Amino acid sequence: MKSVAIIGVGHTKFGRSKEGLLELLCDASLQALENSNTYADNFDSVYVGAMCPGKFNNYTGIASALVDRINLIPAAADHIKNGPASGGSAIKAGYQAIASGMSDLVLVVGGEKMTHITTPGFITSIVATITHHEAERLHGVSLPSFGGLLTRAYLHKYNAKLEWLDDIAIKNHKNGSLNPYAHFQKTIQEFMESAIKKGKGNWANIKEFLKDNSRNPIIADPLRLFHICPISDGAAALVLCNAEIAKKYCDTPILIKGIGQATDTHIIYEREDITTLKALRTCSDLAYKMAKKTPKDIDVAELHDAFEILEVVESEDIGFFKKGEGAKAASEGLTQIGGKIPINPSGGLKARGHPLGATGVAQVVELFWQLREEAGKRQVSGATTGITCNFGGFGNNIVSILVERM
Amino acid sequence: MDDNKIEWIKCNKCGFIQYKSHLRCIKCKNNKFEKINVVGTPTLISYTILYAPPMEFRDKKSYALGIVEFENGIKALGQISSQKGLQIGMKLKPKFEKICDDLDGKEIYTYIFVPIT
Ligand SMILES: [Zn+2]
Repeated sequence: MKSVAIIGVGHTKFGRSKEGLLELLCDASLQALENSNTYADNFDSVYVGAMCPGKFNNYTGIASALVDRINLIPAAADHIKNGPASGGSAIKAGYQAIASGMSDLVLVVGGEKMTHITTPGFITSIVATITHHEAERLHGVSLPSFGGLLTRAYLHKYNAKLEWLDDIAIKNHKNGSLNPYAHFQKTIQEFMESAIKKGKGNWANIKEFLKDNSRNPIIADPLRLFHICPISDGAAALVLCNAEIAKKYCDTPILIKGIGQATDTHIIYEREDITTLKALRTCSDLAYKMAKKTPKDIDVAELHDAFEILEVVESEDIGFFKKGEGAKAASEGLTQIGGKIPINPSGGLKARGHPLGATGVAQVVELFWQLREEAGKRQVSGATTGITCNFGGFGNNIVSILVERM
Repeated sequence: MDDNKIEWIKCNKCGFIQYKSHLRCIKCKNNKFEKINVVGTPTLISYTILYAPPMEFRDKKSYALGIVEFENGIKALGQISSQKGLQIGMKLKPKFEKICDDLDGKEIYTYIFVPIT
């Protein structure tokens, strides 16, 4: 099997965009071609990760449209779909193309364009079609409702406090405030101050602000708005190549050392314990084994905090903390930049935003910057090894990618 | 599929009980099952109150959803008739009723759970 290197990246600003999906994908892709010095090269294959371009943007054949618009013809082009883990699955497809020897130069781009959809409940309904239709969807579930069910079960089982999830949101917003590509580049303190300035109320501190229903309404009890990621537009891209030729393009390539993907039961309540993500245990184990690493070797992680409870259970099932200890560890600052194991220096899905198909790619873009010491004010100092968790379905199809400086 | 009944299946080979949609056992891959019915009064394992419903439930401002477990291990997820006084560990009873009109206007009947007070 050939080794696979990342030699350049691209990332649009996440948030509300006036651009369409194809324009966002082109923007991130062209940035990545420039960043990797491959602007004049011929690519062998292109993988586009996007969850719902058909439903959200009336696009069928988005990968074919992309290669035409930025002229990567005649590269092979595929659209990869794995729900909110479409980005991670697209990277895996690119990895396999190079590892197998079938391709030498590959573009991977993930994106989604969602904020133009204003019909109440439309996005919620479409995203809920990934749940089990008879056992779950028929009853009116949404992904946030699963977040609420998981949160309550976790707090009950481990005697954890909801406030510890507030601390994770505070940390992720702080990190996002240092990320020029993030949807929200504002700390929660700044959200509170601007609400005070607008005369919306007065609060002694951010903990009080976060308890106020008018500023932080309950969405899926006990989860409130600030425990849940936003709906965002954006795209992120990677150029991958056969590691033997990586130095031809770039001085500091980042290697994909391990990659794993695993599934679990479609119905969440058929799992032995809904607070354990077996698919993550399996896929991160595959990634660690492939890379000959253990959780102790990891300097920085990008986890899939669509709901802040997910950052907690993922930090446990990926091997950083014992079961039941992740929330407390985060509240004690262990996952901050400068802490024992920094998680989501990018701001995570909570603050960077969550354009579904873009997320898995953006996680690896962040690690690329971190491992090359290009992450500016949110740099984790001395980081050489990182891992991701990109969560598809509701934990029933997860991709984990382990990267290291070459 | 008949959704008016909470019914699971039991693997003929390994005895594992599971939701009725599986064609092969999720423990041992066997494809022969017998139907089993719920036994006893279910207990609430977790619940949430959803304030941002999907389009199918656009007529409701909010509703409670819970996961319950019956005495013989069968689990189910459904709406709960009340949003107040819910507690993990409490007992509920299933009831069949119309819960919404789907986006094509078809009436959807299924089970919900009513707290036993
Ligand atoms: Zn069996």
